[in-house]
Amino acid sequence: MNLSRSSMWFVAPAVFLMFILLIAPVFVAAILSFTDYSLGNPDFNWVGFKNYAAMAKYSAYKKMFSASLLYVIIVVPVSVLLGLGAAMLISSLRFGGEAYKAIFFLPVMATLLAMAIVWEFTLDPIVGVVNAYLTRGCDVGWWYQFISGAWYGADPTTSWYGNGCNEGFPLWIGDKDYALFTIAFIGVWQAFGFNMVLYLAGLTSIPRELYAAAAMDGADSAWERFKLVTWPMLGPTHVFVITITSIRSFQVFDTVEALTRGGPSKSTYMMVYAMYEKGIQQNLVGIGAAITVVFLVFVLALTLTQVYFVNRKVHYS
Amino acid sequence: MNGQSSLRGEVGKHIVLLLGASIVILPFYLMLSFSFKSPAEIQSITGGFFGAQEMMTDQFCVKQGRPLAECQMLPVVYNYTAAFREAPLLRYLLNGVIVTLSIFFIQVLVALPCAYALAKLRFWGRDVVFGLVLFCLLIPVHAIALPLYIMLAKVGLTNTYAALIIPWTISVFGIFLMRQFFMTVPDDLIDAARMDGMSEFSIVWKVMLPTAIPALLAFAIFSIVAHWNDYFWPRIVITGDRDLMTPPLGLRMFKSDLDGNEYGPMMAAATVIVAPLVVAFLLAQRRFIEGITLSGMK
Repeated sequence: MNLSRSSMWFVAPAVFLMFILLIAPVFVAAILSFTDYSLGNPDFNWVGFKNYAAMAKYSAYKKMFSASLLYVIIVVPVSVLLGLGAAMLISSLRFGGEAYKAIFFLPVMATLLAMAIVWEFTLDPIVGVVNAYLTRGCDVGWWYQFISGAWYGADPTTSWYGNGCNEGFPLWIGDKDYALFTIAFIGVWQAFGFNMVLYLAGLTSIPRELYAAAAMDGADSAWERFKLVTWPMLGPTHVFVITITSIRSFQVFDTVEALTRGGPSKSTYMMVYAMYEKGIQQNLVGIGAAITVVFLVFVLALTLTQVYFVNRKVHYS
Repeated sequence: MNGQSSLRGEVGKHIVLLLGASIVILPFYLMLSFSFKSPAEIQSITGGFFGAQEMMTDQFCVKQGRPLAECQMLPVVYNYTAAFREAPLLRYLLNGVIVTLSIFFIQVLVALPCAYALAKLRFWGRDVVFGLVLFCLLIPVHAIALPLYIMLAKVGLTNTYAALIIPWTISVFGIFLMRQFFMTVPDDLIDAARMDGMSEFSIVWKVMLPTAIPALLAFAIFSIVAHWNDYFWPRIVITGDRDLMTPPLGLRMFKSDLDGNEYGPMMAAATVIVAPLVVAFLLAQRRFIEGITLSGMK
């Protein structure tokens, strides 16, 4: 068989599907974002930048940007640092490391939607375990004094815990001041094990001699060894972990759709959920497409930043 | 550093890690525990892990007019039977298997020949095609969901298996991964196969495929885990037709038409949906971690 003809046959299906399923939709989204199209209508009008202008104008979209940004700003540093911390502790253990690694990786594997529903029950104000135990703790003298700060001479009723004992503990996902943080907590819970595994791989690639060399140069404390060797040698891993966690947290959907639907008062109205609600549920395809385009720009910017850092070679090997 | 202080350090590390592990494992523990307990025990948070397992009455069974004695059962039996009865759980699981396996097989069918051609054959436009693959790696799935949904709706494919499968038939990540792997396969192997008169087609499936098993296994784990757990896409294209729902979507429906406090059956359903991957993971941890962190490259 003719080699170049068979390569045509090998490549053609993949190229065809790439165009139809990946590249064309990006252009379709871009075009739709300038229309008032909705499914079922035979016609549509060109509306120019009206959809984008709406995003700048209405407070729902401002809340969408601030909620998405806040979510990313919480989840990325917390899950990256927890991942790094867990990896460093585990890699320095004499025994039991594998067991912790497996446990911390469980949430990465488990169906997020199912686990989100379990978290919802756990945090339920009436039947939830968390609030039940917080309330029970109010009657345990030493615990109450310790947590509410009475031990250190503070006024227990002004503390978060003391206040909760008197007025009731938060509704978590039902309270607009707590909902985003609760969703972010689930996000961190789910993501940090993934980062831990990447950091564990990064840590094993640091040559042992570097620590010996640093010790010769007078880096005696664990903190100095960390600052001089571990942190900078993990450069490429940092870039990688931070970008991937940012992109993934921009994409948060399951927890929002299942637990809050963007509420209360739009406090968890994040981009992918907004896109789903507008573009698909409410059939406002134009505005949904405009959100999609902005989302795509954010994610591409993050990816290109990563590529830039990787090309600058943030590593020392 | 003397022995005693390093021992103290080890103990300290275990304390911190155990504390973290208990928070991480909490929802798994509660999910399993609630799936065993009676509604009263769930409400009052009593009964430890297994609950007291006192006989309870299945109201559904009573309503069907069967004798009371037949409707007495252990809470654990009640929860799991109710899960399979009230949500067509078996159907959801079957759909999950059909969809994830079809996606994986089509992905391999499309990606493997393309990866082979990109790695080992010289043809006009090869660099362009590879550039296209790299470009497509940048496109996040959430950004093409809305237009894909419109396109599928236009051709009348929403609420079908096809809608669940078609968008994932192309895995540029799979092409990239397999191409990198094939680059490491020596040319001599392919030349020898050609001398034996094998066609390029059979080289792909009889020579390259067997050598690629380790990479394919990692990709299989990556693909199957991602699509078994996916909720976003099924939520968009399956509206209402329960017979097509995948496990996460089915569980979501179960939650939204939950009347009263059927927490036990729901936690039983969640356990059944989460269990296959978690058990597989615990049995083959290294392979799973490898497979899933592959997506780090995506």
